[in-house]
Amino acid sequence: MSVDGKGWVGKAVPRKEEDRLLRGRGKFADDIKLREMLYLRFVRSSYAHANIVSIDTSDAEKIPGVICTLTGSEIASQTQPFIEMAPDPGGKIQDYPLAISKVRYQGEPVAAVMAISPGIADDGAEAVQVEYAALDPVVDAEQALTDASILHEEAGTNKVWGGVFEYGDVEQAFREAASVIEIDRMHFHRFSSTPLENNVVIAQWDPKDERIYYSCNNSFPSFAIQFLAAHLNVHIDRIRVQTSDIGGSFGIKITSYPQMAVCALASKKAGGRPIKWVETRSEHMISSAHGNERTFRDTRVALDKDGVITAITSRHIDDCGAYPRYEPLGCVIWSQVFPGVYRFKNARIDFSQAVTNKCPVGPNRGYSRMQHLWFLERVVDICAHELGIPADEMRLRNYIRPEEFPYTTPNGCIYDSGNYPKMLEVAKQLIGWDAWKKKQAEARKEGRMLGIGIGTTLDSGTNNFGQAQIVNPGAPFSGNSQGANCKLDIYGEVVVAVGSCPQGQGHETTAAQVVADVLNINPDLITVRTGFDTERNVHTGFSGTYASQFAVSGLSAVHGAAQKLKAEMKRLAAFVLKSKEEDLEFGVGGQGPEVRSKSNGKSINYWGMANIVNVNSAVLPVEMHDVTLNCRYIWRAPFKVPDIKRKYGNLTMTYASQLHIAVVEIDRETFIPKILDYVAVDDCGTVINPPIVEGQVYGATAHGIGAALLENCVYDSVGNMLTSTFSDYIPITAMNMPTVKYGHIETPSPHSYSGAKGMGEGGAAPIHTISAALQDALFDKRIFIDDSFNNPDSLFRALKGEIGRADDIVKVERRA
Amino acid sequence: MPIKFAGEFEVQRGPEDVYAFLTDPNKFCPLLPEFRGVTVEDAEHFTVQVNVGVSYIKGVANVKLHLAESQRPSRAQFKGQGSVAGGNVSMVATFDLMSVESGTKVAWQGEAQVFGRLTSVSGGLLEPLGKKQVQKLIDGLQAALHAASGGTV
Repeated sequence: MSVDGKGWVGKAVPRKEEDRLLRGRGKFADDIKLREMLYLRFVRSSYAHANIVSIDTSDAEKIPGVICTLTGSEIASQTQPFIEMAPDPGGKIQDYPLAISKVRYQGEPVAAVMAISPGIADDGAEAVQVEYAALDPVVDAEQALTDASILHEEAGTNKVWGGVFEYGDVEQAFREAASVIEIDRMHFHRFSSTPLENNVVIAQWDPKDERIYYSCNNSFPSFAIQFLAAHLNVHIDRIRVQTSDIGGSFGIKITSYPQMAVCALASKKAGGRPIKWVETRSEHMISSAHGNERTFRDTRVALDKDGVITAITSRHIDDCGAYPRYEPLGCVIWSQVFPGVYRFKNARIDFSQAVTNKCPVGPNRGYSRMQHLWFLERVVDICAHELGIPADEMRLRNYIRPEEFPYTTPNGCIYDSGNYPKMLEVAKQLIGWDAWKKKQAEARKEGRMLGIGIGTTLDSGTNNFGQAQIVNPGAPFSGNSQGANCKLDIYGEVVVAVGSCPQGQGHETTAAQVVADVLNINPDLITVRTGFDTERNVHTGFSGTYASQFAVSGLSAVHGAAQKLKAEMKRLAAFVLKSKEEDLEFGVGGQGPEVRSKSNGKSINYWGMANIVNVNSAVLPVEMHDVTLNCRYIWRAPFKVPDIKRKYGNLTMTYASQLHIAVVEIDRETFIPKILDYVAVDDCGTVINPPIVEGQVYGATAHGIGAALLENCVYDSVGNMLTSTFSDYIPITAMNMPTVKYGHIETPSPHSYSGAKGMGEGGAAPIHTISAALQDALFDKRIFIDDSFNNPDSLFRALKGEIGRADDIVKVERRA
Repeated sequence: MPIKFAGEFEVQRGPEDVYAFLTDPNKFCPLLPEFRGVTVEDAEHFTVQVNVGVSYIKGVANVKLHLAESQRPSRAQFKGQGSVAGGNVSMVATFDLMSVESGTKVAWQGEAQVFGRLTSVSGGLLEPLGKKQVQKLIDGLQAALHAASGGTV
């Protein structure tokens, strides 16, 4: 038990992972070296859109040390195309891990070379001759929807998916509106995550047992094996995936399954020798996965006389890059936060997704929801600005009120808990709102461009995968689940295994805290297995680490497994100690963790119990043979399948919220936007481990600030990616990260056993917040921030009148 | 974005001589900056090799060219495609020759499109570098034609 007797959940327990990671003792996929291992290098397309005329690997194969090569046509002859989650026409897309007759984005793999060293594999890849016939590229999603140049002929269109999400009475709301504001176009830019560790795959197709062994850093392995088994024509149980420490994923590593497929097939061709592929940074930038880019057209907002939004209509076009892969799930996932933190009930969003000749997208931190939340926050700020309502007041008039929770959104999602006005109050206090307002007024007198922006967002966690049926009624998914195992090992050690796949989120620590509270022992006495392994048999089809869910799904599974173990231990101890179960108590005695009887004072330690069950079982009566002290538990979320026709239902279990405030000044000479002050307030319900939560808030804030000001995946008109290195794509680091003031409130979730909510994605709050601050800085110049990416160049162009001219973007109709 | 070049110059040779020079890969190609070699397949098809280097990216460009348009002695257009430093290049170069009092006026224009790694890592440098190299080529061309004429400019 903890010193204060209140349990370990909620305590700042030092991270169990820290010791090995900070001392360089972490074990990452690239640390693994196997006998006879070969190194794989991809030959990648330099064209964004072209037919492949020929591929000649003969020169590469002559290089000493090159063992073999692999091309798309070889793969096509022995595999199936990857499963597509879209219905037709998107479902007709044929996606193979190496291009077969056509390339569709710059960097697409067209061949692979396997050699005895990475250097020789590089030389081999350089020697592969590929002749292309260039085709017209499409790099803009709106242009793609015209189908002037089609990427996937088998689909017959570039449109992957389209649907209208309509709720309430939109027409009536517009008829009754006191003012109507129209916004022509806004754009959420494309950026990625740049984890410290790039993708790594080690694969072995063992000819002896016809099994495929993976060591890798994919962050959603149970999803990957479902795609791989169908693609490779193997039974899913023949694929083993192991992960160990992972140097960040942020969702981007979910879609590494195509590379995993190539490595397995390369191993098969190489006679079962293990194949290692370590992605370079440039490869990661051009061809791993980017976040979704989205354009918002023809937005109309109805407001009442007090500036309360009553309806929104808009047309959203999502750019998923060359292959849908995890898409079109993003076409519905945004609707988990359909109204954001606001009360409007009437809305119609016409949503389309198109393929373009750019890197495929993946579920980047804040996946699909951040684009929509940015859109809503821009709508709120633009309306506030046009109606002359202060940004904080506008929000207070439109926020869902604390007394309305649990709150049902127009599309049937149930927001569990929250208090947005309170968060605003805390954030304003932390930043010194009134003092900054005074400084801002003084700065404006001097002609300085200083703005204060608010961003309020949601981090919806623990998906209902039934929402996949909204985009594809045939999708065989619904609900959500996670597995865990809790056991007393043969010598009585408490060992926990979870189906998650942590990349720095501290799962080992928080899982130990939960089990420690159940068994009333110290977390140090609990071993939580590192990484993921299909052979631990604790995974379900949803296992992995993504979508802000471990605190709910993962820890609920751990809690369930620990409770099962505790129940078995009680039965066993009652038998051994000749005591009633209700007289037993758990704790730590002179011989370590134990169970003792309050009625007779006898006790048995964990070693004793494990000994009886595992190696001294003759003493156990037959009626206790079901006691294993090895307890697997599958937690299932209490979801229902959504109403597919109405696109209505509860899509997510918990809604953490974030409120950020930024003070930003645009330099009048250089146009560099400088953050002068920054506050991040978080509400993720009951906090399990405060430093871990705080760390994730800082991480998400850094990610968002980088995206808002530094990180942009730029393509030229023919599909060349112009930001494929850190010279041009500038990631945020400790060197360019401003100081962040952190605050939090706790509104416990009624939907999780502990009151905790999933967190860590942060809703990309800084993107909204910085856009709002820049908007405020330019308030008197009739410039609107209509893009989520703003660097000195774009601000310079805006101030020159080339972009962002309010009169081109916004129209206001006042009726009352 | 395609890189576009254009310009004109005069030489003291008649259009027929200039045309013959421009359409002879063995004479024309060695004037390319960083020239390594040329393989002539027939009168209209050849492959030229040049060294390419932008900052730390260095490699060899192999460009297959063909005489796509030929109106002797007034117009010649070459089209080509090739590989360069982990990427590809496609190009079109057109020469329009006009007889003038002093000899021939050569109006030239070119368009090159680079795809792949070179553009990704050094896109901003390509246009100025390309212009510099084209200027070298034109200077070389003028000098060669001048020398061939045996006269002075």
